[in-house]
Amino acid sequence: MSMQNPIIWVHGDCLSPRHPALAAYPGAPALFVWDEELLAALRVSLKRIVFMYECLLELPVTIRRGDVATEVLTFADERGADGIVTSDSPSPRFRRIRERLETALPVRVMPVEPFVRARQRLDLARFSRYWQAIQVEALSDSSDNAL
Amino acid sequence: MPGDMRRDFSDREELIAYLAAEFPAAAAESDAVSATIGGRQAAEARLAAMRPAPYAATRNFLSGAVTRLSAYIRHGVLSLAEVRRAALQAVTRPEEAAKLINELAWRDYWQRVYAEIGEGVWENREAYKTGLSASDYAPELPADIATGTTGLACMDAFSHDLISTGYLHNHARMWLAAYVVHWRRVAWQAGARWFLSHLLDGDPASNNLSWQWVASTFSHRPYIFNRENLERYSDGVYCRECPLRSNCPFDASYETLQARLFPDAPPPAAPRRRR
Ligand SMILES: Cc1cc2nc3c(=O)[nH]c(=O)nc-3n(C[C@H](O)[C@H](O)[C@H](O)COP(=O)(O)OP(=O)(O)OC[C@H]3O[C@@H](n4cnc5c(N)ncnc54)[C@H](O)[C@@H]3O)c2cc1C
Repeated sequence: MSMQNPIIWVHGDCLSPRHPALAAYPGAPALFVWDEELLAALRVSLKRIVFMYECLLELPVTIRRGDVATEVLTFADERGADGIVTSDSPSPRFRRIRERLETALPVRVMPVEPFVRARQRLDLARFSRYWQAIQVEALSDSSDNAL
Repeated sequence: MPGDMRRDFSDREELIAYLAAEFPAAAAESDAVSATIGGRQAAEARLAAMRPAPYAATRNFLSGAVTRLSAYIRHGVLSLAEVRRAALQAVTRPEEAAKLINELAWRDYWQRVYAEIGEGVWENREAYKTGLSASDYAPELPADIATGTTGLACMDAFSHDLISTGYLHNHARMWLAAYVVHWRRVAWQAGARWFLSHLLDGDPASNNLSWQWVASTFSHRPYIFNRENLERYSDGVYCRECPLRSNCPFDASYETLQARLFPDAPPPAAPRRRR
């Protein structure tokens, strides 16, 4: 899946100038979309929007609002893009939007650097067990993987 | 392009006025704006100010050396990995950063759980261990909590801070959540929705699962506190001024509160004081 002319979809879980997609495709057109349905459902107050907007103003992105998948595909169309690149998120809403995008264009989801590289499958039933398993790794400098 | 939102603002006031006009429903929810400024530059300044050793000693105090990085981490302006590295670099021995890294791990943990259960963060993971069933809890947040007019100086201050700043110290979140769920018998989901509307770091995983941890639907027992604990870790600032200081619903031993709040709880559900 090699993309010659992708657009980047920036979402609210990765508003960093060190965004993996912005780093991998410098100069590619990038878009952020205010998810109007989500803002209404969560009754998001103004201060959260201001904070995120200030983050966005440091990124080379076009900012729009509406239905996210529709807006991303419109933007891709305007730019004649052959694919969409974004960063990963555990959010189920992210997954649903990605699935809608994939019906129209190839989507590359780039990982964000993990907190620790867990060697085994983690038991998530309780925090204590998870911490037991990752603690040594978490306190060691050796997993250094600076960007 | 038409449809593009603006990017050119001469100052913060102009940005705020623009966004209030663009998002009237959000401004109606609350038009307060936080002093915490978004963006990588502001995040890096806070990262540079992080002090892992004093953090470990004082983090439970409202006046303690907490990082206030949560909104930047929540929105990926900083990755947990780079905060972890910065913490290790700020100390001479890794153990000095252990407490801070352990707290960062809570976020990683909740995110991993979120990846597995998705919208399940809104459902009780387990039954309440309070001797009550889910239907005993009111579905909506009472108005006096939302407006900060309960008469309890501590809870009213937390409510005002949440709405005006979009931030609460972890201990204040725990106290407020315990008050909502255990003293007022309100379903944690109502409190969680309220927090998500206002917290700059509002995150369905960290927020909802922490509420569930307080409620006991994702922990072995309910979290409660008493006045002694709150007074100590808030340096007494609320109790001194509180109109209810001689009639405080938190002023009792843990055993008494446990019996009062959870009269039908099964015996092993002795409440946890703090993590
Ligand atoms: C009822 C309740 C609701 C909460 N809702 C949220 C939320 O929506 N978003 C959120 O990020 N945190 C939430 N927390 C966790 C915690 O209170 C905040 O992360 C912390 O207070 C943020 O302040 P800080 O950055 O100064 O934290 P510090 O103590 O300086 O910790 C450093 C970082 O570690 C992480 N962290 C610390 N403690 C926790 C924790 N218990 N759980 C998860 N991550 C943690 C955060 O990313 C934080 O920025 C909630 C806790 C409770 C009890």
